[in-house]
Amino acid sequence: MSQIIPHILNGLSLGLLFALIALGFMLIVGVMELINLAHGSLFALGAYFAMMIISPNLVWTGAVGEFWQAVPLSLRYGLAILVAPVMVAVVGMGLEFCMRRTYGKKAEYGLLMTFGAALVIEEAIRLVWGPSEQYLQVPQAISGAVLFAGLIYSKYKLFAALFAAGAIVLVWFFLERTPYGAIIKAGAHDSEMVRALGINLSRLRLLVFGLGAGLAGFAGIVLTPIWGLRPHVGIDAVIPAFLIIVLGGVGSFWGAVAGGILVGLAVGITGAYASEWSLLSMYLLLIAVVSVRARGLLGKKSALEA
Amino acid sequence: MAELKLTRRSMLKKTGLATAAGTVTFMGPWYYNRVYAAASDKPILIGLTSDASGQYANSGASDRRGMLMAIAEFNERGGVLGRMVETIHIDTETTPATGSRAAERLITRNECAFLIGAVSSGVANAISQVAQKYGTIYLNTNSSSPTESGKNCHRVKFVWDGNGKNFAQAAVKNAISSYGTKWMLMTNDYVWGHNTSAATRQLVEQFGGEIIDEILVPQGTRDFSSMLLKVQQAAPQVVAAAVGGDDQKAMRQQVSQLGLGEKMAWINNQQDWPDVYGLPIENLFGVFGTTWYWKLDLPGVAEFVQRYQAAYPDTRMRVPGNVFYNGYMATKELLSAVERAGSTNNHKVIRELEGLKVSAHDRMQHHDAYMNPATHQMQQTVYLATANQGTEDQDDLFRILSQSDPEEIRDAGADAACMMESLDDTPTFEM
Repeated sequence: MSQIIPHILNGLSLGLLFALIALGFMLIVGVMELINLAHGSLFALGAYFAMMIISPNLVWTGAVGEFWQAVPLSLRYGLAILVAPVMVAVVGMGLEFCMRRTYGKKAEYGLLMTFGAALVIEEAIRLVWGPSEQYLQVPQAISGAVLFAGLIYSKYKLFAALFAAGAIVLVWFFLERTPYGAIIKAGAHDSEMVRALGINLSRLRLLVFGLGAGLAGFAGIVLTPIWGLRPHVGIDAVIPAFLIIVLGGVGSFWGAVAGGILVGLAVGITGAYASEWSLLSMYLLLIAVVSVRARGLLGKKSALEA
Repeated sequence: MAELKLTRRSMLKKTGLATAAGTVTFMGPWYYNRVYAAASDKPILIGLTSDASGQYANSGASDRRGMLMAIAEFNERGGVLGRMVETIHIDTETTPATGSRAAERLITRNECAFLIGAVSSGVANAISQVAQKYGTIYLNTNSSSPTESGKNCHRVKFVWDGNGKNFAQAAVKNAISSYGTKWMLMTNDYVWGHNTSAATRQLVEQFGGEIIDEILVPQGTRDFSSMLLKVQQAAPQVVAAAVGGDDQKAMRQQVSQLGLGEKMAWINNQQDWPDVYGLPIENLFGVFGTTWYWKLDLPGVAEFVQRYQAAYPDTRMRVPGNVFYNGYMATKELLSAVERAGSTNNHKVIRELEGLKVSAHDRMQHHDAYMNPATHQMQQTVYLATANQGTEDQDDLFRILSQSDPEEIRDAGADAACMMESLDDTPTFEM
């Protein structure tokens, strides 16, 4: 029995990371009813922006480059984790601006638009940073290993889970305890009424898309020191994100968190005891849940349902 | 005037004969003896079937660069048999089904004379089945499942990389005596991983070791934490990993973060250069195999590296690795075989390749190499290497530990498993 405890704890930390990946995706689907297929590319872009801030190629600038490299890694990392998601949010807002002509049309327009954007962003990454494997440096203080109950754990992974938990709490606070969150939720519930109340819906959508993109970028910064960094790393994020929001219930904040944790537990425990099923386990979990509860764990009942 | 008497019986006979004659004309000689316009000025078209996306996108790009450099060198000398060599590339997406479609299209629509390229064994196997159907010679440049030259061998397919069994033979016996008998396997859950681990298991047991457990790693795994916890709980003396591509990169990063590389011995069957280039040297733990290294102290190696750098000045990978080398060597030997055969006729070129012998000097390896005519696998030197800790040169990642003669590491199982089609059963054509 004691053998399984480390795997449950590992599954929980993995689950928080999965929830973090799904958070931005959930926000955009929930408010804009748009499946953002560029989520994975924005995830990758966040990591590349962070890498550019942490270890830029500034040889050509001479003294500036030397000065920046002399700044402690922890400061550069701290700056990256704050600035890179904002940069991705700006890219996300640009994408939302391009999306506007698709509003009110069939859902396929939005899907194709974000799919195209995903391809463009991935190719842009390839052009700017090259196709090879890269490495996102993390400060010494949060890298290495910790020994607990005779087993070695990754210190970084524990910090990553804490980052994820922190991001979840902050997003919850923003949505539930601020007037902006109330407007966003109202916009998701009844956009026409929100517009009738004089709230600028275009600006609201811009903000939500920027926030969702920024969260995707943040997830990329947190996850890529574990997964590795390459132009197509986003594909590893977008599939679990989609799966988790369907599992948790489309548009449900706590559904995304619960879905992420369940997926983490499923992957973590099968990874230890039936590793060949570890990736498949999340799909089996989805099938099992959706078979008995089509709207997902915490999804709201559709008006069409009896 | 003779009266034409048309009875029901004669009508049936005539119709039957006409149908049979038509079928023979259409299906028989045409199917087995395609002769395309092989005009002397018509370029020789080669289909490149390398991955540009998916698990092996990075290695696929390196593979392709190797092929293209060899082709460019032939074209600079006036081509092959006076004909320029041209290429068409289709991304095989590290997916067997895409590999099949790409091969079918390159052969039937683009009328390619040859196909070259593979990193994934699953993709290589799929391509070679299509190639065999049409008789098109296919070079499996970089996939190293023992089955590729064993049970999945084909008359038209030639395998240029060392296989999992070759590398295991080079490493296992020494590792048992150096590190211990208690082994654990980490196996990528597809054809190459399974066959490589099977070869390792057989050798470990043969030399008195014990496999205490095997962890199957699904393709696309990014989080190895649960598997690495399990490894710690089992506490093996040696972990033999047959994990490739992006999976391997993620695994290396996570093993390195935990410091597990120093806690137990790691034997990584083969280490492809594109999978580690640019990563911190700490990620390069354990002992691993390779067929070539850019700093081998052998004639021609330095010039080869210079040619690579001249051909690809903007490539982030500043020096060539084993994947590039295999792509280059395979293509070069194919085009040389066409020249020796004096024709692109596939049967003639197959015979040339089956008798291929290459000196150590020309291979830039320590031993002479030859094509095994029974399996169509290049028998070549295999090197064991480890991380070159403490180096100042960012490109000098490997420290070569040993080199094995092709005969010492020969995969005898492949000879027994390979049931190749006869040449007569292989459609013939000339482009």
